[in-house]
Amino acid sequence: MMEIRAAGLGRRAGGRAILAGVDLEFSPGVVNVILGPNGAGKSTLLRLLGLLDRPGSGDIVYDGRWLSAMNGAERVALRRRCGFVFQAPLLLAASVEANLRFGARLRSLAVDDEALRRALAATGLAGKKKQEARLLSGGEKQRLQLARVMLLDPDLYLLDEPTANLDPLSVKNIEAAIARLAREGKTVILATHNLMQARLLAGRIVFLQAGRLVQAGSPSEVLSRPLSLDIAEFSAAENILSGTLARRDGRTVLDCGPLNIEVVSEREAGRAAAVIRPEDILVSLQPLDSSARNSFRGTVSAISDLGAVMALVVDCSGVAFTVFLTRISCAQMGLAAGGSVALTFKATAVHLLAID
Amino acid sequence: MSYLLDGLREGAALLLPPGREILQIIGLSLAVSGAATALAALAAIPAALVLALKEFRGKRLLVGLLNTAMAVPAVLIGLLVYGLVSRRGPLGALGLLFTPGAMVLAQALLAFPLITALALAALKGVARDARDLALSLGADRRQLAVAVIRQGRFAFLTAIIAGFSRVIGETGMTLMVGGNIKGQTRVLTTAISLETMKGNFEIGIALGIVLLLAALAINVALQLAQGK
Repeated sequence: MMEIRAAGLGRRAGGRAILAGVDLEFSPGVVNVILGPNGAGKSTLLRLLGLLDRPGSGDIVYDGRWLSAMNGAERVALRRRCGFVFQAPLLLAASVEANLRFGARLRSLAVDDEALRRALAATGLAGKKKQEARLLSGGEKQRLQLARVMLLDPDLYLLDEPTANLDPLSVKNIEAAIARLAREGKTVILATHNLMQARLLAGRIVFLQAGRLVQAGSPSEVLSRPLSLDIAEFSAAENILSGTLARRDGRTVLDCGPLNIEVVSEREAGRAAAVIRPEDILVSLQPLDSSARNSFRGTVSAISDLGAVMALVVDCSGVAFTVFLTRISCAQMGLAAGGSVALTFKATAVHLLAID
Repeated sequence: MSYLLDGLREGAALLLPPGREILQIIGLSLAVSGAATALAALAAIPAALVLALKEFRGKRLLVGLLNTAMAVPAVLIGLLVYGLVSRRGPLGALGLLFTPGAMVLAQALLAFPLITALALAALKGVARDARDLALSLGADRRQLAVAVIRQGRFAFLTAIIAGFSRVIGETGMTLMVGGNIKGQTRVLTTAISLETMKGNFEIGIALGIVLLLAALAINVALQLAQGK
C-alpha cells in the first residue's frame, strides 16, 4: 500500500493547462477511479502520479515524502514501487517471457519459473510464454501488461483505461484482477470513462473535467448527488430538468415551463437543474394521496426491457421522465404504451444543481 | 554512344586490378568521410536523443535552426571552414588548410544537422514509448538511456549512413578546403571532377563506378542490419 496526496498539481502542454490545481488524496485498499470524459486530464494525472512526467506546478506526497524533495535515486526507488498499465499496450519487441522478465531485469532480480507461470495463468496467458508479444491479440497484450506489472508486486497500481477495446470476457477477467489487488491492500488508481466499470469497481470516485477536479467521494455521493451538471450528464442521469427557481404559495419550486417541481432549496431564485433518480419516482394508475409533494399525470410513451427491470418513459405535459419498474409491477398494472399513469416523488428526492 | 561505352569499358579495365593511385584515392575518401561521419554522429546522436526526450524552453527554435542548417549549401560551409582554418583564421595556427583534417572538419559540419534531423524524425515515433516503458518498469538513468538507444538503433544507423552518403559525394566544399592535392587530399569526387575536365573521361568513370559500388554496398549492409 501507499499513501498518496496531490497538492495543487498541474501541468501545461502546448501553451494550455491540461491539469490545474488538483488537490486529492487516494485511499489504499479500495479502487480509486478517476472518472471523466476524454480530454479531462485523467492520463496526465496518472502519468504525474507514476513519475513519468514532471509536474508543472504543485507537488505529490508519497507516504509522507514530498516528490519535489526527492533526488534521482529516490525517484527511481519510488518508481519501482509503482506499476503502470498503459492504455495503448507498450511492449518490448520480444517474447512474452522477455516482456515479463523486463522489470525484474531492470531491478537485477531473478524471477523463478513458478512465479512466471502463476502470472501467466492469473491473466489467462498460460501457454503463451514463448510467443512474440507483438503477435498477441489486443486483449492479450493488455493482459500481458498487467501480468508484467503484477509480477513485480508494486505497492501502487496506476491503470490507464486497462480494458479499453477489450472483449467482454477479457474485461471481466481484468476487472476481477483489479478488485483482488485492492482487496489485498494495494493502492489502485484506475482511470476510465466507463461509467459501469466505475460503479462496479470504485471505492472512491474522483471526477475530472477539463483538467480540474470537480468532485471526489464515494460512488454514491458522486453519482447520486453530483456537484455539477457535467457529472450528472456524464453519469447518464436519466431525469435532468432545467428551469428557474421561484417562490410560489410559500413553497420553493423549479419552474420547468409546463411543470412546477417542488424542491428543497436554500436558494429561491436563479437557474438550476434538477436530477431525479428513476428509482425515486413512484408509478401508479391513479394519483396517490401521500405526503410526497410532487405528483403529475402523464402518458406512457415507451417501455423498454432492461433485463432486471423495465424502463418506462412517461410524458407529463411535454416533460419526459424515465422511471424503473420491476417486471411484475409492470404486468400487474397492465402498463402499455399510450396508457395513463401518475408519477409521484418527494421534494427531497430532487437533487438540485446550480447552473450559470 | 560509343564514346560513353568506350569510357565505361576503359574505366572498368582501370579497376581490374585498380592501380596504386586509385586505391589511395579510395582509401582517403573512405577515411576522410568515415572520420567526418563518426565525428558528426558522436555529437548528433546525443543531440537527437535530447531533442526527442527532453522538454525545455527554446526547443522549437532549436529544431527550426536544425532544419535551416540542413538547407545551408555545402559551399557556404566550405567558406566557413576555409575562414576558420586559413592562416589568418582562428584555427590558422593548426595549419589545417589543404589537409585531410580540414576536409574532415567541413564534412562533419555538413553531416551534423542532417544526421541529427533524420535521427530525431525517426526517434519521434519510438523514443517516447521506449522511455515510458523503461521508466514505468523502474529503469534508472543509465538503463533508460540504454533502452532508448536500443529502440532507436536502426533510426541512428539509417541517419548515419545518410550522413556518410551525403559527405562522401560532396565535391565543391571538399575541393575548397582540401585543395585536391595529388597523393594528399585527392578524394573520389575531386578526382572525378579534375580527371574529367582534363579529358581523362575513363578515369572519371572508373572512380564513378567505385562511388556507385560504395553507395550500393552501404545500402545492402543497412538492409541486412535491419534484417529485411
